[in-house]
Amino acid sequence: MADTTIKRTNTITHPRYGCAIGAAFSVAAIPGAVPIANCGPGCIGKQAGIITTASQGTAYPGAGNIPSVNWGENEVVFGGAKKLDDLIKSTLKIMKGDLFVVLTGCSGELVGDDVEAVVKKYRNQGYSIVSAGTAGFKGNNLFGHENVSIAIIDQFVGEYKGRKQKKLVNLWFETPYFNSFWRGDYEEIKRILEGAGFEVNILFGSLSKGSESWKKIPKAGFNLLISPWVGLKTVKHLEVKYKQPYLHIPVIPIGEEATSAFLRQVVEFAGIDKTKSEKFIEEESKQYYNYIEHFASFFSQYWFGLPAKFAIVGDSTYNTAFTKFLTDQLGLVPLKAVITDNPPEKYRDKIRDVYHHLTEDDEVSLEPEFVEDGYWIEKILEETDFGSEIGVIFGSSWEKQIAADKNLKLIETSTPSANEVVLNRSYVGYKGALTLIEKVYTVAMGNR
Amino acid sequence: MTSTRKINLSMSECDNREMRLGTITSWDGSASELTKASDYEERSAEKQQKCCGKRGRACQLCELNMPFSQETTCAHAMVSCQIGNITDCILVEHSPIGCSAQQHGLNISMNIGLARRHKQPQTISILSTNLLEKDMVFGASDKLRQTIRDAYYRYSPKAVFISMACSTAIIGEDIDSIAYELQDELGIEVIPLHCEGFRSKHWSTGFDISQHGILRSIVEKNPKKKQKDLINIVQLWGTDYFSDILKPLGLRVNYLVDMASYDELKQASEAVATTTFCHTLGSYMATALEEHFGVPQINAPQPYGIAATDEWLRTIAKVVGKEKIVEEYIESEHKRIQPELDELREKLKGLYGFVMTGSAYAHGLTSVLKELGIGVDGSIVFHHDPVYDSGQENQNTLKFLVDTYGDIPYFTVSKTQPFQLPAILKRSKADFVIIRHGGLATIAAKLGIPSLAMGDESIPIGYDGILRTGRIILNIIARKRFDRILARHTELGYTDWWLSQSDPFILARHPELLDENEESKGDPLNG
Repeated sequence: MADTTIKRTNTITHPRYGCAIGAAFSVAAIPGAVPIANCGPGCIGKQAGIITTASQGTAYPGAGNIPSVNWGENEVVFGGAKKLDDLIKSTLKIMKGDLFVVLTGCSGELVGDDVEAVVKKYRNQGYSIVSAGTAGFKGNNLFGHENVSIAIIDQFVGEYKGRKQKKLVNLWFETPYFNSFWRGDYEEIKRILEGAGFEVNILFGSLSKGSESWKKIPKAGFNLLISPWVGLKTVKHLEVKYKQPYLHIPVIPIGEEATSAFLRQVVEFAGIDKTKSEKFIEEESKQYYNYIEHFASFFSQYWFGLPAKFAIVGDSTYNTAFTKFLTDQLGLVPLKAVITDNPPEKYRDKIRDVYHHLTEDDEVSLEPEFVEDGYWIEKILEETDFGSEIGVIFGSSWEKQIAADKNLKLIETSTPSANEVVLNRSYVGYKGALTLIEKVYTVAMGNR
Repeated sequence: MTSTRKINLSMSECDNREMRLGTITSWDGSASELTKASDYEERSAEKQQKCCGKRGRACQLCELNMPFSQETTCAHAMVSCQIGNITDCILVEHSPIGCSAQQHGLNISMNIGLARRHKQPQTISILSTNLLEKDMVFGASDKLRQTIRDAYYRYSPKAVFISMACSTAIIGEDIDSIAYELQDELGIEVIPLHCEGFRSKHWSTGFDISQHGILRSIVEKNPKKKQKDLINIVQLWGTDYFSDILKPLGLRVNYLVDMASYDELKQASEAVATTTFCHTLGSYMATALEEHFGVPQINAPQPYGIAATDEWLRTIAKVVGKEKIVEEYIESEHKRIQPELDELREKLKGLYGFVMTGSAYAHGLTSVLKELGIGVDGSIVFHHDPVYDSGQENQNTLKFLVDTYGDIPYFTVSKTQPFQLPAILKRSKADFVIIRHGGLATIAAKLGIPSLAMGDESIPIGYDGILRTGRIILNIIARKRFDRILARHTELGYTDWWLSQSDPFILARHPELLDENEESKGDPLNG
């Protein structure tokens, strides 16, 4: 009887993302910016539970320090505007910062408080303060991340009519904290773009100059979006607002070939001189292949078996990039790709297309599945035959049990990750690719 | 009919802690002042419908009303961490996905807990109805029905719980009716829990709500037998030390609620008594089991430090008729731990410790520090219950602490508010802090003070708990080397104005300060 009653429904277990108010951590990732959470007492802590995993921690004003209205019964009955007003006023006195972002959650939006009126009062007094709607029922934390970015652009960055700088590029990339390796990845992308001759305007993380960087957005020659879909709304908004073109790179470059091609594409798009970028690419390639050559002497003659087949579970950002690199550059065999971040329907065909053309020889094609409910993700993995060699799941810690049951290796590359301590590790670009190779093949050790 | 019972199990909703106990979350003074103001005995008399004679505000503990607050946690989260960890029941969270976002953290604690209790590992499965905007407009009852059916058909649980969230409470979802309906359809208990996050001023009401649902629907109402050697212990995920402690009295332990099975919860009414590691967590359950199921609770301080553990063991022995052997047991335990205790006291001499944890547990932890000869001049509890549900005299943990080990001059009630820590720690000589909740330790660390994250709440329990705690503190103290570097190279992040304040509650006493410095309004970087 069970089979007909067990079906794919709206239910989610083992969640892979939080809700829109999780964008408080995108704000906390901007140096000098302070999120002000206009929501219940538990909302922010819960989002921290899924957004800041892999032991990456957070720093002030994250880490439990986020000002919050902590909605109680009184606010539900009488409205929360008064308490929000008190909170903003005291936040400005207590929390050091130069940009304040009010994020309103489910209760505030359902009760229908006029949050903008409260915020405006402080904006009129000269404070840099922004308001963003981030009710959990409106969308997930990726939706919230874009909403907050656009709110800051509209309410803080404001109008700009001046000249643009050709070599200055705004980087729109991984969602802070939600991608556990974002800090190292931002560092690598900045490094290589600078190597190719660009000035990179970083908006999130310690490499950003915070509000100064945000104010600089309209001055950039163009927006560079490296992401399958998150950020598209933002760069399209900027295109209209500042007549600023954007270059969309849907698959993060990993490995020398993809990274060099990426740099050439960006240089071409910007129309800047190629001399510097070509020299940089040459030098990077030399270093990269020296490592690869050494690695090859292990890779090609290791007696005791290497990882062969893999499945990957995670958000589309790493999922696309990893599947491509592992398949095309290392010759691993992809069995399943489960995409967990619920990309809007309109973006899905383009994402599918990446998996249809994974390799240079175009011999490997895979049909990705879009699933958010862990129950079904585990069923998919359960029914997958990983063969007799070392099989690998690239996934979250939710896949730990199924990996153990099937005697597979789990490499935690997606959120939530409970078994990694990540500081500056990166898996992208030139250097990150080498780290990824280390990680993948280290699982073969001890298997003899 | 007027009931003289303290706990009402007839309604699906459970009264908030602030209504039942007069719980406060914001207060500053000495431990002895708080003991006096709490007026435990009078309140206890009042709970038994013998009013203390005082009326209105005289019965209330005055609170400090702060205009500023930082993120904390909520009753809904406590239900997830209690009900979600029952091994063969399923919790359905009726809310947008964000309310279920901490599930993976609960999976970690559950699995560590299962290992500590020698149970098989399993992946936690809490189901979210995953509500979206249209559900807020048109209602979400069908999604709830579907998710309950999913829970049933996928996992064959012994019971399904439904938890209400802020959004579903505001739009008026009728989880009681749907629970009845699905209970008929599926033939298992479907238990509604009214735990929306805005409901109570303190998250610990979520413990009570969890226990309320279990007491109403799972605990056997007409036990056919008594298990004379079974004792209930209301506990979290900690290591099982209670079994060893209670074995000499011929007792087996039935742990409630985390990692318990349906049948273990059900048999709670067959036990000979109920006790707990923390009255904040355990008092509702223990009192209801006593009043409604005839299982007595242990009227004793919590088992922390020598004096309290002695008292606790004697009281249990009395309930189970083992008075004859208990004195000998206590004496041999004293002898056994004494040499290492002396050694630890010598090594820890001159140190100061600072506890910031849940209320009653903090009282216990502080006793253990005092027992080790560690100085305690300040403490933070995240709320304060002036009385517990039992109202039993010997459970007055704060009074026991003050009477046995002396006063604590700076005793703060505050709900995980890191911004107050610089001022609070400034007035303490603390060499280390003990924490269980997020956000506080990093501030202490930036002030150069290392932290003991007491993730295993069982560590300080009983006689050996004193030794275990002492050994760990010696390791923690070594970490000050890391914190020294951190303090040297990182900033706290708060404004200089705030960091110059010595009263952590200054804005409650002088809210007008917020309106000063009007000239700085054009310069928001007011640090």
